[in-house]
Order: sequence, then structure tokens, then C-alpha cells
Amino acid sequence: MQIEMKGIDKSFGTNQVLKDAGFVLGDGEVHALMGENGAGKSTLMKILTGVYTKDKGTVLVDGREVNYKNPQEAEKAGIVFIHQELNVLFDLTVEENLFMGKEIKKKFGFCDQKAMRKKAEEALGRLGVRIDPGEVMSNLSVGQQQMIEICKALMVDAKVIIMDEPTAALTQSETVVLFEVIQSLRKSGVSMVYISHRMEEIFELCDRISVLRDGTYVGTRNIPETNMNEIVKLMIGREIGERYPQRDCKIGETVLKVSGLTKKGVFENVDFEVRAGEVLGVSGLMGAGRTEIMQAVFGNLPYESGRIEIDGREVQIKSPIQAMKNGIGFITEDRKVEGLMLEESIEKNIALANLPIISKNHVLDKKKERDLVQKGIEELHIRCFGPSHECNNLSGGNQQKVVFAKWVYTDPKILILDEPTRGVDIGAKKEIYNIINDLAAKGVAVIMVSSELPEVLGMSDRVMVVREGLVRGIVHKEEANQENIMTLATGGTI
Amino acid sequence: MKKIAGIMIGLCMMFSLAGCNAITIDGEGETAESTGNGSIGLSVSTLNNPFFVSLAEGAEAAAEKEGVKLAVADASDDSAKQQNDIEDLISRNVSVLIVNPVDSDAVAPAVQNAVSQGIKVISVDRVVNGVEVDCQIASDNVAGAKMATEYLIEQIGEGAKAAELQGVPGASATIDRGAGFHEAADEALDVTASQTANFDRAEGMSVMENILQSDSSIKGVFAHNDEMALGALQAIAATGKDIKVVGFDATDDAVDAVKAGKMTATVAQKPDLMGETAIQTAIKLIAGEEVEKSLPVEVELVTKE
Amino acid sequence: MEMNKKKITDHMQDLGALIALALLVVGISIVSPEFRTGSNFLSLLRQSSINGLIAFGMTCVILTDAIDLSVGSVLALSTALCAGMISGGVPAGAAMLLALAIGTCLGAVSGLLVTKGRLQAFIATLITMTVFRGATMIFTDGKPISNLGDSFVLKLVGRGNFYRIPIPVILLLLIFAGFYFLLNKTTFGRAVYATGSNWKCAKLAGIDIHKTKITVYAISGFMSALSGLILLSRLGSAQPTLGDGYELDAIAAVALGGTSMSGGRGKIYGTFIGVLIIAVLNNGLNILGVSSYYQDVIKGLVILVAVLSDRKR
Repeated sequence: MQIEMKGIDKSFGTNQVLKDAGFVLGDGEVHALMGENGAGKSTLMKILTGVYTKDKGTVLVDGREVNYKNPQEAEKAGIVFIHQELNVLFDLTVEENLFMGKEIKKKFGFCDQKAMRKKAEEALGRLGVRIDPGEVMSNLSVGQQQMIEICKALMVDAKVIIMDEPTAALTQSETVVLFEVIQSLRKSGVSMVYISHRMEEIFELCDRISVLRDGTYVGTRNIPETNMNEIVKLMIGREIGERYPQRDCKIGETVLKVSGLTKKGVFENVDFEVRAGEVLGVSGLMGAGRTEIMQAVFGNLPYESGRIEIDGREVQIKSPIQAMKNGIGFITEDRKVEGLMLEESIEKNIALANLPIISKNHVLDKKKERDLVQKGIEELHIRCFGPSHECNNLSGGNQQKVVFAKWVYTDPKILILDEPTRGVDIGAKKEIYNIINDLAAKGVAVIMVSSELPEVLGMSDRVMVVREGLVRGIVHKEEANQENIMTLATGGTI
Repeated sequence: MKKIAGIMIGLCMMFSLAGCNAITIDGEGETAESTGNGSIGLSVSTLNNPFFVSLAEGAEAAAEKEGVKLAVADASDDSAKQQNDIEDLISRNVSVLIVNPVDSDAVAPAVQNAVSQGIKVISVDRVVNGVEVDCQIASDNVAGAKMATEYLIEQIGEGAKAAELQGVPGASATIDRGAGFHEAADEALDVTASQTANFDRAEGMSVMENILQSDSSIKGVFAHNDEMALGALQAIAATGKDIKVVGFDATDDAVDAVKAGKMTATVAQKPDLMGETAIQTAIKLIAGEEVEKSLPVEVELVTKE
Repeated sequence: MEMNKKKITDHMQDLGALIALALLVVGISIVSPEFRTGSNFLSLLRQSSINGLIAFGMTCVILTDAIDLSVGSVLALSTALCAGMISGGVPAGAAMLLALAIGTCLGAVSGLLVTKGRLQAFIATLITMTVFRGATMIFTDGKPISNLGDSFVLKLVGRGNFYRIPIPVILLLLIFAGFYFLLNKTTFGRAVYATGSNWKCAKLAGIDIHKTKITVYAISGFMSALSGLILLSRLGSAQPTLGDGYELDAIAAVALGGTSMSGGRGKIYGTFIGVLIIAVLNNGLNILGVSSYYQDVIKGLVILVAVLSDRKR
């Protein structure tokens, strides 16, 4: 199936999201769609699949003009959109999910279980995936759930599958399986639109790459003929320089020392230290227990035994309030759930961790608050309409910067970051790396938990690798590379 | 901070400078002259009880006949609401307030308020404690209860076991009917249970169930009103025992039950007559005539005969 | 652009309640000459003070994404204990202060159940509502406590007037100002809103969630007790059934005022308008002579409309 979209305009109220946007897709190709957050990628695809109606422009499928009014129409034509938040019914079985709304019926409307079971096994087999159709969805891993979504698409004979950030929640091995599936689908003539921020994956997997910037189509390149820098330049319209900014700070004394931290079944005998001005990267597979260890250090997860020392003195940290009193800050991995009050303004969010600074005798000093927030917006380059901009309406990168602004001015000695650039576009990522470097330069001890290996390698002074709740090793940046980190993370030794 | 402190000090000074003259208490101070636009206000305790519905209807019929404007407010058995109701009636400039208190003590301040504004007050069915009203209209509850109890004794025999279902605690009807019952029963019956069912049919049923549970050899029940009696009958019917029940009020349902032989007897108050009498007395008061301080309304024993 | 539009609709929603209030007042005033007298308005304001005080406390609780069903029972129990003390010889002023302290503690009990006891707010306050009401019945033996003597302080609270303005109204206004300050200008106010908006985020930012929740329940208890003292003063006796159902009017006022039932959004002046709307309905419908059966239906409909327009957010 060949798709051509051109001259697409789309506005929401006074906000023009797409202006003269376009996209082409050929037969049997894997085509990446890239752009900063807010560039219009999802909107463009939602117009293609009938979720939104375009204001202007044409959509041609195999040369014919089409205008899908809803996703069901697009599906009938063979175009399926697999969203980042999967459309999964967790309490039902694989089979029931696959056939939801499209059950095979016998006479009198009874479901034909046998026929459905057969078709499900066939489709799963086509994918080379071994999952029991009778298994309940909530028992499957995220990767497996994603496979089921792809299976659903195949069962309606999809010719085009659009995937939005498909590897965001997958483990390394699940990503490998996904790539194999994508390759085999491509061989059988199915085309895929791959929306992602992960450049390495795109360069590994895709044939072509198209870029949108500020709602407009900027260009398409064949992967073998281009490189990451050129793509980044297309995306942000300027050179980005080094992806990971250089840092050249003095590393001082040990600020935080954790010994023997144990919580049965979650992590055991965790030992590590962090020094002032240092960035300690924390690597490991998903579910290794990194977040739990950090939550324990921050007092948000009770642990059974272990010792925490700050500046050489042992401290008791049983709650976030105590952690903050000891100079620890924590930026959580899920900003929408734990990091922000989404319905509140930037101002209220930044102020939340800084209440003692902007008040006297528990009475707020509005001027101090405004000044602090203004400083945060300027120094961290938060793109917004002003302090009362609601956080819900910010892009992922800007939301993350608000969370940073919340913590930076609490003057932390130790700042723990959990997946600081997840769901953040290239441009904002660089800005966040600069913020981290500035913090280190000020003498803050930074702990950075991240599942993006290149990021860990690019930013850390030392890398701690965790597997199944145990620290497998701590490697200096001179010796660290993708292979040995992965080896440690998967249970081997170096 | 300083600003707030300044305001507080200013307020305190204002208060103390103003002195006692600024502060008045509702209901105290000189009584005003007769006011009112010639209409009558009736604050009834609840319209969720057929007895008081009859009372209100009797009053409404009388008012219409005499061509006088009557406003009725329903306090839903809530003293606080009744106070608001009376205040609202005062706002409507009534000349006479007819009040049927939810609680004879709690209604006093509101009635005092009315009196101090020159409004004439008539109490109906229950008294107002602590405030002198222009007229009290009530059934002779003591005599009525005694009469009914004596009939019960006749039916179940001297020394038999009996239970008493009491009304809303503190209401004058409860106190009076209880007094009348005990006058007759203390010597002649073995009263094994005295519980309140708040004049309510559903509560009467469940309280009776509990009483029967603890002692099923009871022969007779005196309930302070028909609603509770009817509820008790339900509970008794379930056990199949033959227990004589006497109520009070002679509502339609009760009279039917007596005629059908299910209930032994009831005492007919005449709530509609009470309402009518209240209106007529009110009209006299508006005209400036003298009235009696207390007008007892007769009651009648209702049995199968 | 989007942000400006949002602010306008926000204001309109706030204004919505105000417009409704204005329409009600104007409408009833046109139909009924007795409604629009000065003394009736004062009467209306005095009547609104009971629900108003409770509703202010309830606003704080609801803002933290919780609810307090026990307000009526706290009112009854603290008032009954106060009356008991007065009729037992304790000076009225001291008894009243003790009653306020008792109310605060009773409220804190609910707070403890919700935080340390980890009960859902609905369940916890359902329990305290029932237990406190039962305790009231036991203490009063089901009978009202009268004979409260002639204390000036006691009479002042509910029946006093300052230059013809009823004292309860003055209390209502002063306390409104206090709540406005507390919720908008203090760190505690921020903690309240944050706890309701996203407690996980608040906890991780160093807010003491437990302390915040227990405090709002204690405040609610205090307001219930204060309201009860006003009733005690007005009625001259403590009824065991006092306050029955008052939680509904309080919650209705908060909902009418635009506070979200899931916490985090809402303004105290919205509650004030909600309180006035309910008071106008109660007073106005009474004055118009509308049967009390219809009054409940009308009140329910008004609340339905208010809540539906809240959902449009």
C-alpha cells in the first residue's frame, strides 16, 4: 500500500499544529517519523487514521483520495495505529482481546470458540510468537502485550502499521524480538511507520526517515545515505554539537555512602558511594530494582537493614521529609504520576518543594515565589506562556524541566534522577544534560538511573550496574562500554 | 502580619467603645406593639405523621371558611428547622403564631422572639416550656391514656404482663400519656418493658420485635400513638400470638384496624378539631378579644363496639 | 491563546454560581415582598451561618480528596457535652471552650482513622458518624438537655446582635476571612491543595501528608462544634438528634461552589456562594409557602445542575 499525504493543515482552536505537512510511505518499508515533541507527528498520523479531521490537504492511498471518518474505517482499509498507551483489556484473555468486537459467530449469535482459537494460533504463529491464547493479558509482560496488539493488526489484514514509541517500555530482549517481527512483516509486504526518539534504533531498523519540524514537513532521507547529526539538524533546525555536552569538573569528597541496604525480595546488600561533583550512572535491565533502591535512599520505601551516611555521619531516613532535610532531592521516573500536579500551574509546581524558602512563619511571600519561579523558567529555558501555564499543556521536555526547576533551588547536596530524559525530544534532552552538568559543576552529587545506555555512557563518571537487586559492578567511564555494561546487567562477569 | 494585627486591634477597640448598647440579644428587650397584617402562621412539627396532617388540614379548612390567610411551615421533626420556620413566619408579618413544638424546650427561644415582637402565640398539642403563651390547646392526654389503659386491663386481666411503647422523649404528649398509663398500670399490670419508638411506625415494629424476642409471654401493649401501635401489630402478627394492642390518636388506619378486630382500642383525639379551635382562637386574638389560657380538647375511646 | 480561553471559562464557572444566586434572590424578591425586607435578609444570613461554618471546614477536607460525614454527629456530641457541663454547674464560657476542644479532637479521630488507620475517608467518617451519634444518645439518654441557665456568653453566641447584625453572621464573615487567608496565603494551604491534587507528588516533595489530613479533619471538627454552640445558644437546649443530616447540606454547598469532589481544585468563596444559595432556597421557599416535600426536590435539582456544570471542566 502506498500512502501520500500533502499540504495538510490542522488547527485546534487558535493553535495551528500542522501547516503544509506531508508524508509518503512506500510498499514494504519501515519508515521512521521523527521530530521534536509538539512537531505534529502523532497529529499527522491521527489524521491519516481518522481520529482527527484535517482542515486542508489531501490524503491518497494507492493513488485514490480518502477521508477516513474514524479509526474503524481506516482499519477496514488496512491502516492500523498502535498507540504508546496500549489498548489492552487487562482482565480478559489474549483471545478475547484479539477478537474484541470482531467475534466469529455461529448461528444464533453464539461465539465460535474453536474457530477463534484456530485463527488466533495462526496469527500468533505468523509472528513467531509463543503465547497461549487462553492466557490472561495482565499476566503478560509489556512486550508480549505489544505483540498481541501487532497480532490484532495482522488479523484485520493490516497493510500499514503505525507504531508510536514501541520500545519505550520494552526490555532489551523484547526489543530484539520486536525488531525480528518487524523485519518479517516487512518481507511479507507490510509497511510500518515507526515514531520514536531513539536514534540508534531507527538507524538500525528503518529504511527511510522523514522529519517534521513545527508542524511542517522538512525532508526525507534514506538511512544508508545520512547520519544522526544531519537528522538532528533537520529536526531542530540548527547544529546541536555534541549530543552529550562535555563536563570538566573537579570531583570532591564522598557525600553519600550507602552500605548493606537490604529489602528482602527487592534488593540486597547494596553498597555504593557518590562524591560531590560526580555523576554516578545506574544501569540495568528493567525491573532490576534500581528505582526501588533510590526510593529507599529517599525515604519513600521502607527497608530492612543497611546504613546511609551523609558527609561521613550516619543518618536515619524514614520519609521524604527527612531525606530533604539531609539535602537529598529526587526526580521520579514518572513525571505525570509522581512528579507533577498536572492540573496546576508551573508556579504552584515549582513552589511545592520550596515552600520553606518562599515563606516566613508559614505565610507565603508572593514576591519571593514569583521571583523564584521566574528564575526557574529563565535559567532552565522552560517554553511556556508564563508562570500560570498549566502543566498539562506543556510538552514532555518542558514538563521535565519544571520538575528540575522544582528541585534545583532546594540546594540539594545529592540529587537522584530516575530516567530524566524519558519521553523527551532531542533538543530538550540536550538542555537537560546541560542542567545536570551545571549541577555537577556546583558540587552536587548526581545519581542518574537510566535505561538509555548511550546516555549513561555519555554522561556518567562511573557506572553502577544492578541486576535483580544486586550490585554487579561499578565501572569507571574510561573502561565502560556498551558490551561490558550489558554483560554485567545480564548476569555475566567482566 | 502587621496589617492583620492592626485590624484586629481596631476591631477590638470598636467593640469595647461601642459598649453594651451595640449588643442586643434576640427576644430580650421591650415588647413591641401588636404588629402583623392579619394573617396567621402555623408551625407544625412534621407533616410526615397523619395526626399532624389532620391538624394542619383542620386548621386550613377553618381558615378558608373564615376567610383568613394561613401559612403553614413543616419542621420535619427538627428543632433547628422549626426555629428557622418560626423566624420566617415572623418575617411574613403574621399577627398570630400557632405553634406545634417539636421539642417543648427547644422551641422556647423562637417563641420568645415572636412574643417580644408583639405576635400572639397559641400552642397546639404540645406545650411551650418557659414562655407564657396566649393560649394552650391540647388534648387531655393524661385522662385519655388512663382511660385506654383501664380498657386494656379489662381485656387482659389484672396482673398480666404488658409492654409500653413510648413516644419522642421529652415531648409533652409522651410525658402526659406515659403518666396516664402508669397511673392505671403500675398497680394493676406487670409492666416488663418500656421503650421508645419515637412515635414512628417502622420503629414501633422493630422495637416490638426486640421486646418479643426477649419476652414472648407479654399479653398486652400500650403505645403512645397509633403509628407505633400499628407497627407493633405487624411484629406481633408475625409471631401469631394473641396480644392486645391499644394505641392513641385514632388515625384512619388505626380505626380500621380496631373495626377489623386486629387492634383492641385507640383514643380518638380530634386533631382537626384542635386545628379548627386554634384558628378560631387566633381570630379572636386578632380581633382583640380575651381568650382562655387553656383549652383542653376532648378525647374519646374507640373500640370495636 | 489556549491558556487565556481556559481562564475565561474558569471565571465563568465561578461566576455561574454567583449568577445563579443573583437570579434566585432577584426572582424570589419579585414574587414575594416579605422576602426582600432587611430583617429577612438578616434572618437569612443568620440561618446560613450554621451550614456555612460547617461547609468551610468541609471545604478543606474535600480539597484534600477526602470527605467528612461525621460533622452532624460531632456537632451533636460536643454540644450535648457542653450542655451537660453547663447544667452540671460548669461556667458557660469554660464549657463552650471545652466543647470546641472536644469537637477538634473528635475530628482528629476521623483524621487518624484515615491516615494511620488507612481507612477510606467515606468509611472512616461513616464509622465516626455512627459512633459519635450513638455516644450522644447514651450521654443524653435520648432526652434533650435543657435548664442551661442565663449565661450572657451563651446567649450572645447565637442570639446576640451587634448593631443589629447577628453575631453568628459576624462570626461567619470573620471565619471566612480566616479560611481565605489560610488556604491562599499560607504553606498549609498549599499543602492542602497539593495533597488533593496529587498526594504522591506532594509526599515526594516533602509535604507531610498525614499531618495535613489530620489537621483538616480537626478543623472540620472544630467548625462543627462551633456551629453546634450557635445552635445551643439559639435553642436553649441540646437535642440528641441535633445536626442529623447536616453533612448533606455542607457537602452540597461545597459542590455548588465549584470545588471538585476529587480534591485539588476549588475556592473558599465558591463555598460561601454555595452556602448562600442553599440558605436562599430554604428561606425563600419557606416564605413562598412551598410545601416542604417540594422543597427537597427543588434543592436536589439545583444541586444536580451545579454538579453537572462542574463536570464540563
